[in-house]
Amino acid sequence: MESVFSGIEKLGPAGLVLRAILGSLLGIFLLVGFIVLRRWYRARYFRRRNERTAALRAQWDDIVSGKIPPQDWRFDPLDCDIVESILLDNIEMSAPDDLPPLLNCLRVSGLLDMLIYEARSAYSWKQRAALLALGRTRAREAIPALAAGLDSRSAETRIAAIRALGRTAIMEAAIPILDRVVEGRLDAPERSVKNSLANCCRSHPETLVRYLEQTQGPTRELLARVLAELASPELGEDLLVLAADTLPEVRASAARALGNTNTSYTLPALQSLATDPEWFVRLRAVVALGEIENVGKIEILLRSLCDANRHVRQRAAWALARMEPQLEQILEDVVATNDDYALQSFISELERSGAIEKIVGMLAGSGDHSMQTTLQEVVERARESVGLSGKAAAAAAGTH
Amino acid sequence: MRFLTVSNQILFIYYVLSNLIYLGLLIVAISRNVRHHHRLGSFRFELIKASPFTPPITLIVPAHNEERSIVSSVGALLGLDYPSLEVIVVNDGSTDATVERLQKAYDLRTARILYIADIATAPVRAIYRSPVEPRLFVLDKQGAGCKADAINAGINAATSPYVCVVDADSILERESLVRIMVGVLSDPGRVIAVGGIVRVLNGSRVVDNQIEQVRLPKRPIEVMQVIEYLRAFLVGREGWATFNMLPIISGAFGIFQRDLVKQVGGFRTHAVGEDLDLVIRMHRRLLEEHRPYHITFIPDPTCWTEVPTDLKSLARQRARWHKGLIDALWPNRDMLFRARYGRVGWLILPYMWIFEFLAPVIELVGYVTIILAMVLGVLSKAFFLQFLLFGYAFATLISIGSVLLEEMTVRRYANWREVARLLIYCLFEHFPYRQMTMVWRLQGLWQYLRGDLQWGTMKRVGISANPSQATSHE
Repeated sequence: MESVFSGIEKLGPAGLVLRAILGSLLGIFLLVGFIVLRRWYRARYFRRRNERTAALRAQWDDIVSGKIPPQDWRFDPLDCDIVESILLDNIEMSAPDDLPPLLNCLRVSGLLDMLIYEARSAYSWKQRAALLALGRTRAREAIPALAAGLDSRSAETRIAAIRALGRTAIMEAAIPILDRVVEGRLDAPERSVKNSLANCCRSHPETLVRYLEQTQGPTRELLARVLAELASPELGEDLLVLAADTLPEVRASAARALGNTNTSYTLPALQSLATDPEWFVRLRAVVALGEIENVGKIEILLRSLCDANRHVRQRAAWALARMEPQLEQILEDVVATNDDYALQSFISELERSGAIEKIVGMLAGSGDHSMQTTLQEVVERARESVGLSGKAAAAAAGTH
Repeated sequence: MRFLTVSNQILFIYYVLSNLIYLGLLIVAISRNVRHHHRLGSFRFELIKASPFTPPITLIVPAHNEERSIVSSVGALLGLDYPSLEVIVVNDGSTDATVERLQKAYDLRTARILYIADIATAPVRAIYRSPVEPRLFVLDKQGAGCKADAINAGINAATSPYVCVVDADSILERESLVRIMVGVLSDPGRVIAVGGIVRVLNGSRVVDNQIEQVRLPKRPIEVMQVIEYLRAFLVGREGWATFNMLPIISGAFGIFQRDLVKQVGGFRTHAVGEDLDLVIRMHRRLLEEHRPYHITFIPDPTCWTEVPTDLKSLARQRARWHKGLIDALWPNRDMLFRARYGRVGWLILPYMWIFEFLAPVIELVGYVTIILAMVLGVLSKAFFLQFLLFGYAFATLISIGSVLLEEMTVRRYANWREVARLLIYCLFEHFPYRQMTMVWRLQGLWQYLRGDLQWGTMKRVGISANPSQATSHE
């Protein structure tokens, strides 16, 4: 008997179309079948998982204390997976005092060893999942396995290892990253590296300073940016050295860091950075000045308000407009600069912060009538001139 | 006779090629989706939100006569889960009480904030700020008759390095900004724009401008659009983004590097498809400057939007989209087949000309010649039927593939009945819905040739007039 396929062969070009139709129909059935099966499987899996999760949660204290021996749940893949995820969630949320019994359960049950083994020997997503889970354990013995992940040939695995080290939030976990960064051996997105270093070095920023001394170029800039987020007054003169660095990015980071350290040397250092040749260093210095509590900054900010760069001017205005008790005096000083751009920027920021009504009210209640009238006129004129649109405003705000 | 035979052969090749390209995109999209979801497993959004390195975003909300929903929309946007957010509502010459509603709800006060028009726009009449919500600014500008002008005004006023354009009548999911920023954060130096998925709101239950329950709409015309949106975003955009050839980021939801948008002159005023136009110009600029870049698409940050519920509005919308397509392709025709524009000039733009812009014309010519050939006896009825069946089955396969992608990514339609309905509607998408859209697109082409570049209006149900009221879009 002639087969269906030989019949199709005989059709010639029409047979080709028929085969295409059959192929498409088969594709449709396969796709629909896959969707249905997938749905069915997921529904069944999650129902079972929810039931087991509820059962294991009911016995949780006994599992953690070891009353229920680990072998009761350890060798059932679903139970093991559920216990692992509950343990990791609890470890992440627990206070330091509650951590030992959870870590002990992780160690005694062999879960930690299993994760370390997977992180070292598994591939692809399984390895990355193990790395991330290890990071969540915050266990010191996990660090060597995580560090090994940094040398993986896969970019995704390296990123997972960096994130996992960051999640431990342990100072020692930063060392493998820093070593590789300094030696130029870590090819990974800058943001992941910065976040992880920031997490790990939060309590010991001085470690970053040590490494900064050994680096040059982009690596030095990266470490300086992390340091800028973590700086504390204890860093002392180290920040002053960075403020005089040859790299503008490092000076900018030093400015940012100084904003977190209100000490005797902060203001002079920021004053110097506020006159830096690079506009973004000046900008960072002005931002930092806005963050510190020191009336001595007014004079520096007033000078920055007349800066050639509009971003610097605007940011100086932002900082000045938030110094409420001194606003009237500051307004007088701004008017005295005879710089229209400075005045416009300042008035604009007063409007933005909502302080303009207060200052207008203050002027109305002031005793010195001639000064009051002059300032009121100046403020009104400036208010009229800001908020323009089109070319006029662009010209008004341009670099002069 | 010879003409008819050749024409039918060309049509056959065109149709097979078009579907093969989409099949390729489907395969690429599935693989990319699986990888993206594995990668998401390693992200903790709480850490992104807590990180000092997460960049701020300015949401720009162009609003024209949105008094019914503006307050609840702005409330929902301010409630988005993102650490550093600024919301700028641009009232684009509304003739209703859009600004008054906002004024009342947020105690808006006039603020003469320095507004620098880096991109020229229609005059801004006033800038308002809210003492109760310092992250909110409202720009009241003269209407210029186009959304692009309003967005440009918002970009001028934005203070964040990234801007996200959102339609006032759309709903963003709470985590959508953090999710879309995953695209940027993976490579901040190179990723200059990211698109998220826009999905059909009709039929879903909305409470306080947040989706409470996702459901399929009841009207067939709306369900067809659900499938269309899934295919366009999850297959088309995902696929093209894999090769860095994404030609469009939806005007309803996408983030852009603010400074780059300014450098290319912002959204083109009076462009009918301003979103498509901007992305093509960004490609052009960066390729001309030999700057490494990536314009990408992320499938899980979701924006829900209302789609037309009646044929008339849908016809107008599709005609407008087609006008927008021509309006963006024509000024950039010099990019075609030029080495300096790389794969954009050699692949995606020719694809858009041939398989998007010319599609309704070729389809129409095809229908006419096939019928003529049948009447004149050049084409056998059997072959004609086979061809139709093949075309239908192949295209349906792609539509079902997009439902599969939805299942594999966000899986918003929870119950079996809705998935079954979606699958059944896939069978009707290519007949007669496809033929209807062909006619509307031809209308768009005709209007464009006549110089009619009007946007037209769309009949809307409205998200919610009362913020606390649950609204079902059925």
